[in-house]
Amino acid sequence: MKKIWIFLLLSLLFSSCQEEVVLDLDQKDSRVPVIEAHWTDQSVYNEVKISLSKNYYDSLDQELIRDADVFIKEQSTGRKIAFRYLEATRSYRTNPTERARVGETYQLNVTWKGQVFQSEGLMLEPPIVDSVVWNYEEKRLFRDEGYFVKVYGKIPFTENNYYRIRVIENDTLYNQPEDYLLFDDTFGLQVFEKGLELGYAFQENDRIRLELYRINKDVFDYLSQLVNLLFNDGGLFSPPPQNPKSNIKVVKGNSQVLGFFVVSPVLSRTLVISSK
Amino acid sequence: MSFHRLLLFLLLFLIASPAFPQEKLVLRGQVMDAGNLQVLVGVNVYWEGKEQQGTATDLDGYFYIPATTLPAKIILSYLGYEKSIRIIQVRDLEKVQRFYLKAEDFSLEEVLIQEKRGDEQVKNLELGKSTLSMETLQSLPALFGEVDLLRSLQLLPGVKSAGEGTTGLFVRGGSADQNLVQVDGAPVYNASHFFGIFSVFNPDGIKKVDLYKGNMPASFGGRASSLIDVTLREGEKDRIQGEGGIGTISSRLTLQGPLLGKNSSFLISGRRTYADLFLKLSSNPDLKNNQLNFYDLNGKAAFSLNEKDKLSVSSYQGSDILGLSGQFGLGWKNWVSAVNWNRVNSDSSFFDLQAYHSRYSYQVKFDNDENGFDWTNSLSESGIKASWTRVLAPSTTLVWGAHGQLYHFAPSDLKPSPNNPINRRQTQGVQGVLGNAFVGLTREFTEKLSGELGLRQGVYAQLGAGKVYQYPGNDPNPDQEPSDSVFYNSADVMQRYQGLEPRIAFRYLLRPEFSLKLAYNRNFQYVQIASNSSAGLPIDRWVLAGQYIRPIKSDQISLGVFHNFDQNRWELSVEGYYKDLDQVIDLRNGARILLSDQVETELLSGRGWAYGAEFLLRKNKGKTTGWLAYTWSRAWRQIDGISKDRPYNPRFDRPHDVSLVLNHQFSPAWSSSLTFVYSTGQAVSFPVGSYLVDNQPVPLYSDYRNENRFPDYHRLDASVTWKNPDQGRKWKGSWNFGVYNLYGRKNPFSYDFRTVYNNQINYSPSDGKIVSARPGVVMTYLFTFLPSITYNFQF
Repeated sequence: MKKIWIFLLLSLLFSSCQEEVVLDLDQKDSRVPVIEAHWTDQSVYNEVKISLSKNYYDSLDQELIRDADVFIKEQSTGRKIAFRYLEATRSYRTNPTERARVGETYQLNVTWKGQVFQSEGLMLEPPIVDSVVWNYEEKRLFRDEGYFVKVYGKIPFTENNYYRIRVIENDTLYNQPEDYLLFDDTFGLQVFEKGLELGYAFQENDRIRLELYRINKDVFDYLSQLVNLLFNDGGLFSPPPQNPKSNIKVVKGNSQVLGFFVVSPVLSRTLVISSK
Repeated sequence: MSFHRLLLFLLLFLIASPAFPQEKLVLRGQVMDAGNLQVLVGVNVYWEGKEQQGTATDLDGYFYIPATTLPAKIILSYLGYEKSIRIIQVRDLEKVQRFYLKAEDFSLEEVLIQEKRGDEQVKNLELGKSTLSMETLQSLPALFGEVDLLRSLQLLPGVKSAGEGTTGLFVRGGSADQNLVQVDGAPVYNASHFFGIFSVFNPDGIKKVDLYKGNMPASFGGRASSLIDVTLREGEKDRIQGEGGIGTISSRLTLQGPLLGKNSSFLISGRRTYADLFLKLSSNPDLKNNQLNFYDLNGKAAFSLNEKDKLSVSSYQGSDILGLSGQFGLGWKNWVSAVNWNRVNSDSSFFDLQAYHSRYSYQVKFDNDENGFDWTNSLSESGIKASWTRVLAPSTTLVWGAHGQLYHFAPSDLKPSPNNPINRRQTQGVQGVLGNAFVGLTREFTEKLSGELGLRQGVYAQLGAGKVYQYPGNDPNPDQEPSDSVFYNSADVMQRYQGLEPRIAFRYLLRPEFSLKLAYNRNFQYVQIASNSSAGLPIDRWVLAGQYIRPIKSDQISLGVFHNFDQNRWELSVEGYYKDLDQVIDLRNGARILLSDQVETELLSGRGWAYGAEFLLRKNKGKTTGWLAYTWSRAWRQIDGISKDRPYNPRFDRPHDVSLVLNHQFSPAWSSSLTFVYSTGQAVSFPVGSYLVDNQPVPLYSDYRNENRFPDYHRLDASVTWKNPDQGRKWKGSWNFGVYNLYGRKNPFSYDFRTVYNNQINYSPSDGKIVSARPGVVMTYLFTFLPSITYNFQF
């Protein structure tokens, strides 16, 4: 919110100007592995992406790591679920019958060039989604006119209430920093029972997919810090920029590691907006 | 020998002077302008033939000078006034003598820019103190033509700005919340308008400002780095007068005059911006309905109750309102009031009593049935301070007193609108009480050596009602839930701290115009802002010391040489300092502070240190006046959990800093001013790479904080003032034309590391089809060649 004000103020009152510049930036001595692992109850989402960081101005595609040894261990049984690299998806995948089970803790293991990275996550029970409805709304402050979607459901949990909603419109993920819809129980969860409105004005015939994740606190913190960083404009009103705190640890080797391991149930709905 | 014993020893040593004189040996007087009866500050007073042993009048126009063999001639001299000579008899020592000085005709040769004695900086005991007179302040070129007190203080050595367009001050390596900004003795918690672009002080209502860069007398305290002591003007006593100005973005009006006869006066001063009046002219209905303004209103009434007692009541109120379409708004407000009573018990004994209340509040409101909310917060400080001054001997003055402070930080309260399903969120309020006792002794040992020893003892308690959470391993940490909580009833002591704050200063006069000074100073600070951005926001969360947040402790040692030459026309000073800060705080990554009752889990604490050298060459008299200041300084922080626990520079660490200020009087009608500033760029973190995660290109940062620099900052401002030289007319007007950033230097405000789409820096994926995307750096700069015009008047 503060950003809205600062930019409003600066743009209204003062001759603030912008231009693109080229800065002489430092470079890392070595590239840092970036691990992004999803382990859910739907096989389509289950994958591990491993890549390397690059210099800031490099506009080449990310460099993928294809030769890592990847598995997820089910902690209660000690069973290892192996992943292997698939060029088609440019990620590591496992057998589609393998899925996360509620109540189970899973450990991600990635070994690459003698370095071992590990992370853990608990598969939580999903909340209940009763219905998804949409209504036409006239133009409001901060909202354009259009069809607005509301999600109705119930969250019966007293702890581990960390959620993320992703919105995909006509196969395009809403993916700008302002599109991160993350919520916890700071302001209660009644909002979910009384209808959680998504902040997008959709048009008729838009095909919308909604995905609701119940994530662990470390992933919620990671994503919150990621959003803060994406909003950080480097000005006086922003805190010093910091990398989001990864929930992946380096257990062998002296490399750094970036990214996160999410274990979550996924509830998804697809709808096509039509006038009623 | 322990430190406390050493202090006791020094105190005894200082007091152990020859027996106190029993008879009255001091001449006491008050000096006023014969025309308007305003008291005159800084008038030189000396006995004939003893010019070197003189004194000067204080803020209330009073002076005290040891008597010589009487009868003798006392001489009062003041620039711009005719010299006054009077023969003093022994009986004159019995009561306060009044002196009235007549103003000289306007003289081009001597333009006074400072209300102080010519050789004051060499003779006094002050180190790290700067005084800015309103004449100087008002002559400086200003952003948008708005004369700004805090921004002008940034031109003094040892005072840094965090960046373009901000009035936050960083004094000798301290953070912005380590400055105590006070108006007539009452603290101001948020001294900024428009997110810090302007400060809250309407220059017309101010008499003067003193800046103590860490080395403050024992009667002041409470902040680790500096004291910015603003004195409001008192009204004229002879007739109603007015003055004001019409500027580019605001207008000002001040009225003053006698209140209840000749013994009392009032002054009321207001300022309001009218940016939103221009918005109303916009054809865009969204802009048209927006609000964007601030105002300041301050007043002071002063009463001379009798020959001994003087009472003044002052109040300041200021507010910012930013509104969108009448539905969404953010506002914040300061309201500060103070009552001061000064009593002259006898020629050598004075008493001052002060009571004040300062309240700061903000509100964020969204008027909407389903998503609306009303978020409010306020904090206040109330205080009472009594101080006694006793001239024990001609060369020894003792000041002692007590200062009680009560802090009340109301709950931060977010109330949703009736149909908004979110829960109301309310933090718990916190209270604190701070009692201080202080004693200060100033003694002139010999003609060359004088010293000051001060002690200030603070006792602080955080008071209930309130809840304190307990954490496993006594480690407040966002990743673990509290293990327990303890509830305290109303007025229960939840946590107690105390600290002794010694203040020591010595001055040795090597030659009459050349002195050496040494000072040591300790301060404790029991209240601070939990924030890690460099510029203050109106919704910043102030936190009191408590079980997990310890008070900040600062120790500063400074050494200076002071030299005046060419009959005090030029002042030169070189000061060096080293400052140590303990228990400074910073925030964890992603800290959520504003509506949390467990702020301690989001904080990290550590130490800081700063050192530097400040050079100042100043010319006070003549057609051309001004100063050249150069500061070399460094500031460091070391906090576990930040920058891999290694020392890092805060953003405001800017090693080289130059300010040049020049004023020139061409003729009675024309004058001009020029300021040039240069400083090393801010210490910041630039990315060392990038990576893709969650479908986002993300800049990759080093683990070490602020290892990069913005480019050097520099800027030249100029202004020209024309005033009607006809002094006889009742209405006197003047025009001021100014240009900020004359040569249009693009000083960066920020560098944003973001994806540039379609090779257009402002193109967003929601604007349409994306043809290309690449990493880029977008620089924002604020003010280049910004002209302004102001019309000022007096009647």
